Amino acid sequence: SSNEHKLNFKKSKEACLSYIQDALLQKQWKRAAEFLTCYVESLEKDYSREHIGPSEMIWRIGTEILWHHSQSSMKEFNCFMEQMKTLGVKRYLKVCLEHVFHLLCNGQIDEAYQNLSLAESWRFGEQTAIQDKEMKLIQAYRGLLDYYSWSKQKNVLLEHGEDGFSDLAVEQEMHGYFRKAAVNLKEIIKIPGVWDIFVKCYVDLLEFYGDHNEARQVLNEYAYNSKFPANPNAHVYLYQFLKRQGESKKSLISALKILHDIVPSHELMIDFNTMLQKSKKRKKRRLGLEVIFAALDYAGWKENAKAWRCLARQVKQIVISEKHLDWIKQEWNSRKDWWPAFHFSRYLAKRDWQENKSLSYEKALVAGILLGKDCKYFKYVSHQGCKAQLKRFRMLKKFVNRHNPVYLRISG
Amino acid sequence: MEFPAALFPSYFGAGPPREEGGPAPVAGWGEHGQVLEGRPGRRQVQPAFVPRRGATGERWEAADAAAVPVLLPSAGCWIPSPVPQDILYRSSLCRKLRAGKSGATLDFTRQLGHFFVDHPEDAFGSLGRLLHKNFYLGNSKLKRPARNSTIRMTALVEDIDRLEARRGCPRQHLASRLRWFSHLCRDWLFEVPLGLLADCVHEELMQQWSNLLFDDSLTGGALAWLPPEDGRTPVGCLVHPGGQAMNHLYFQDVVLEELPRTRGSPAWFELSGRIRQVAAARVNGQDFVGVRSDYHCGVWRVPGKRGAAPTPLQVIRTDVPASCLTVSPHLPGELSVCTQSGTVYLWSVETGLQQLRHDPQTMFFRDHSPWRWSDFTGHPRVLSCADRTGLQCLDARAPKRCHFDLFKVGEEAGCQQGERVVLPMYLGRAHPSQYLVTTQFSVYVLDERLPLVPVLKWAHMMKAPPLFAHLMPGNPGRSHKVLLGASRTQELLLLQYRDSFWAVSSGGSQSACQLAGTPQKLQSIAGCLQHLPTQLPHRHHLLQQRLTAPAGGLAATLQEDGPHKSMLIFQLSEAGDVFCQRLTHKTAQPPAPHPQPSPAVPSPAAALRYRRWLRALYRAYREPPRHTWPPSLSQRRLFTRRDLEGPAGPSSLQRQMRQRLRQTMEEGGRIQRWEPLVLQPPPLPQTLDPAGGPDPLSARLTAAWAGDWEQWWEERTSFSVAQRQRALRERRRRQKRAQGRRSLSASFTSSLTYQSELSELSDTGPPLLSPARPPILSQESSPPAGSSPVRSPATSAVPDEALLSSQSLRCRGIPKERRKTLRDYLSVWAEGPPEPPEPPGSQASQLCIPSSQSQLSSASQTRRKRPRMGF
Repeated sequence: SSNEHKLNFKKSKEACLSYIQDALLQKQWKRAAEFLTCYVESLEKDYSREHIGPSEMIWRIGTEILWHHSQSSMKEFNCFMEQMKTLGVKRYLKVCLEHVFHLLCNGQIDEAYQNLSLAESWRFGEQTAIQDKEMKLIQAYRGLLDYYSWSKQKNVLLEHGEDGFSDLAVEQEMHGYFRKAAVNLKEIIKIPGVWDIFVKCYVDLLEFYGDHNEARQVLNEYAYNSKFPANPNAHVYLYQFLKRQGESKKSLISALKILHDIVPSHELMIDFNTMLQKSKKRKKRRLGLEVIFAALDYAGWKENAKAWRCLARQVKQIVISEKHLDWIKQEWNSRKDWWPAFHFSRYLAKRDWQENKSLSYEKALVAGILLGKDCKYFKYVSHQGCKAQLKRFRMLKKFVNRHNPVYLRISG
Repeated sequence: MEFPAALFPSYFGAGPPREEGGPAPVAGWGEHGQVLEGRPGRRQVQPAFVPRRGATGERWEAADAAAVPVLLPSAGCWIPSPVPQDILYRSSLCRKLRAGKSGATLDFTRQLGHFFVDHPEDAFGSLGRLLHKNFYLGNSKLKRPARNSTIRMTALVEDIDRLEARRGCPRQHLASRLRWFSHLCRDWLFEVPLGLLADCVHEELMQQWSNLLFDDSLTGGALAWLPPEDGRTPVGCLVHPGGQAMNHLYFQDVVLEELPRTRGSPAWFELSGRIRQVAAARVNGQDFVGVRSDYHCGVWRVPGKRGAAPTPLQVIRTDVPASCLTVSPHLPGELSVCTQSGTVYLWSVETGLQQLRHDPQTMFFRDHSPWRWSDFTGHPRVLSCADRTGLQCLDARAPKRCHFDLFKVGEEAGCQQGERVVLPMYLGRAHPSQYLVTTQFSVYVLDERLPLVPVLKWAHMMKAPPLFAHLMPGNPGRSHKVLLGASRTQELLLLQYRDSFWAVSSGGSQSACQLAGTPQKLQSIAGCLQHLPTQLPHRHHLLQQRLTAPAGGLAATLQEDGPHKSMLIFQLSEAGDVFCQRLTHKTAQPPAPHPQPSPAVPSPAAALRYRRWLRALYRAYREPPRHTWPPSLSQRRLFTRRDLEGPAGPSSLQRQMRQRLRQTMEEGGRIQRWEPLVLQPPPLPQTLDPAGGPDPLSARLTAAWAGDWEQWWEERTSFSVAQRQRALRERRRRQKRAQGRRSLSASFTSSLTYQSELSELSDTGPPLLSPARPPILSQESSPPAGSSPVRSPATSAVPDEALLSSQSLRCRGIPKERRKTLRDYLSVWAEGPPEPPEPPGSQASQLCIPSSQSQLSSASQTRRKRPRMGF
């Protein structure tokens, strides 16, 4: 009966698919390709209602095979892609986008640009939400490519400008690229998302043409709009922009303060700490201590000698001046139950000494002050340092011994 | 670790997932996802782009045809867990149903039937005994007189058989006799009420079925590899469960050679529950191994030096099954524990348990699963906790205030509808702030610094959800490897990803996370079946069952021996087998036109392993478990022959006894006393129902049910005080009298027995009522007995008792000689057992009677206990 036929057809289709899957997962591209030619038949009687239909399956499998197959060429790939575009209307834009990505990764920027332009002009009935998103992405990538063309022209002009010779046609072309890029890039960065490269390129364009207000607004929007994800890069871009603009310390500090609040382990925290330490205000220096302590809480900072140097420097300052010991005490209070095992164990002392002497020096200084001269880390490192006749370590031992009462005041 | 200077573009939406979901067999292929400029800031002719997916990865190829066993099978049979065929409906009708959308049908009636057949005593015990005379199981027709009280069951059994044969037949309703029978006795035939029993069976069946579909108690896996400390000696330690009940924990040293082999005998511990998960982490050169069973979690410390014995540190017990145990990679002796009630604890060996969260509800939307998970993050004081709907991070120092959402099943991560978190894992050894989250459809890599937005997402296309994952961090510039493992299908998938796609040397800043190479399927345990020597069919079946058992854990290690790099992957099955496979790294070279397929036949060394393993397996199966042999004891050495020689023949007493025994057995009765002459057992004690009124307990319960319990209590206490006073007075009088009567002859007393017994029963009557001396009226002036040690509360008054008491009779002016007649008359009216009802007052008085004076019948002795039982 036809029903049975249908069932059998479905079964053989599934079996074929599982063979293909198996071959793909074992990197047997040739075998997979052979099965795929059989699977193409499944397009004929497509009764499935699954959310990935046979046409999309063929596109995905075929693409994967052509990426890896030893005998495939770019020409074949393009040909296959063109066929796939006509196969499924719903997935046209998606296939186009993927095709463009492949061209871009293979350095065929011009072909990619052409494909993007073609895809942009595609219309078919009412656009679904997904298609709308895909269309926006296509436009954005075209804007990105326009930006690269603009940047190329700009470089040409700048080089020529050095010669004192300006080419009006080139300049015109450059401005044309700017307009095209700016329109598309501006569109995509309004929608919530992660648009790091688009924002960077757009801001670069704006800065070149001196539209700093617009640039600042874009960056502020990207960093502070609550509909966007809490992307640390948004704050980093804003901070870098402010720095380029030569903004005051105060605004730089406030930008970094927000970054500190959302990502206390960001690498800019070292800059932030240095900036705060130099400040004359007590409150800022206090914040600096907090920032560096918080950063060193993270496992990723454990072996960061720079950060330990920052902490050691600030702690040393405080101890020598004997002012604000309560700052250290307060920071130490919430850490004294786990920092010793996390940072200052004997095992780590041995390892740090073997692998990074300057790290062990800074850490030993901090350990000696926070945990006293009997702390395992300090004892091991200073002993090894003295044994190796390093002057630095002898000074360190003297310093810690002299300031041992500080430890009692901190821990008490 | 620095944050990537630019991330791959992606949309960000909030809310529930919009994309329609479903298993997609090829969703992970053929997609680059997004592209990003490879080297920003460099002035070059053309920008170079890198894809999010599709970059080249390392080539790893299997060294052998199939996985080889590492350990020999343990002695003792393995009991396979139930399979779908055991609990699913098998009839043709239901197969059709299953083909449709209705899903599987559980064979509930069969399971209930199994219960009735396997436990007939529990199912029908007492009624079966009562009715067995009325059920006839023969084939012949029943005769006329028997037919009145007996039914022929054979016909019913035949009907049942026919019904079984016609299952699925539309004319099933014709079995009217069965309907009639079940209608008749459904309500009373079963020892356990049928509805209750059915509920229990159904609940258990559903539980078993959901476990078969997806058993999340194994999440995390019960296999751990403790690598050698310095990497020079190739001896690591495999931590795995074993034993028939999977309740033994083994620490086995393993030498990594071409084929890893065990060294020495393992250290092992017997635990009090099936091991569900083994988690390990290395802190400060020491390995900490956490072991989770349903209600217990334990932690062991293994010193860095191999050969040193593992030390158990601490055990905790939970009331609700624990669903997660992870070991901190930051601080020694710290673990996190989750229970199914939604509680998350930070467990420190030194300071004990700290509850971080208690919430039986799921975090982001409602989901019925009680599964919870927790792991550590890049900050030693911040823990992640997960349920099926997502992940949150909490600060252990202020868990209520400081928390943020790390992952949500929703539009934020571009999830599909119906997608659920299966296993989260901290990827700290590869990148201190990255996290792996697997769902049944996809794997996600998350960065704590950019919560909610996955830095990597890929549809893994596995047939079963990945319950196990293992990370092998790559050196800087090389890809990290992640192994995903499923339980039921034994799937193993190798993924590679990079957290930076240009070499560290070329620039300071980090780049975005990128999937490298294509995913690779690895050999499963079941895959070696085809490489084993041909077996006899029953052995083949046994082997197949054993090898296709669901996977129970996953561990792996990278081994670098100069230029040769290899990867060893261990897989544990639920049967306790550990199999291992080796992958070798192929250095980057132009891909050969025909990539070498993995070897078709196992190497000689592997074949030897298989043979040894098979031999041990069959030995384990053939050996009958010793404890099932019937215990026997040789008596030859215990007794001499003379001892064993019995008397020539049974004595008459023995004969008599045997006869009696036989007779009793035929009657189905019992022998209470062995006195030879009393052949009839004494009459059973009467039922405890007093005829005159409800017993105190029933009265109290009735009152309580009606709602006026307090009133009842009031009445009762006032009543009992008066009664106790009377009883005490009575006792004193009796004591006095008894002292005075000691001289009386025994014969005289015995002639009075009847009346004395009678008066015992009356509530206030004197114990020995002499006909010559009428009882003296009770003195009203005697002191109240409030302080008397009467513990037993009096029971409610019975009007007949008051009437029967000799005192009251006398009070009414009835002459002494007529009182007995009246009593006899009234006792006829008092319905019930011939023995007069229990008088409340007598109880109180009896309790106070000194033992020398008590003349109690056995019946009253049994009754004495009742009021106490009531309280």
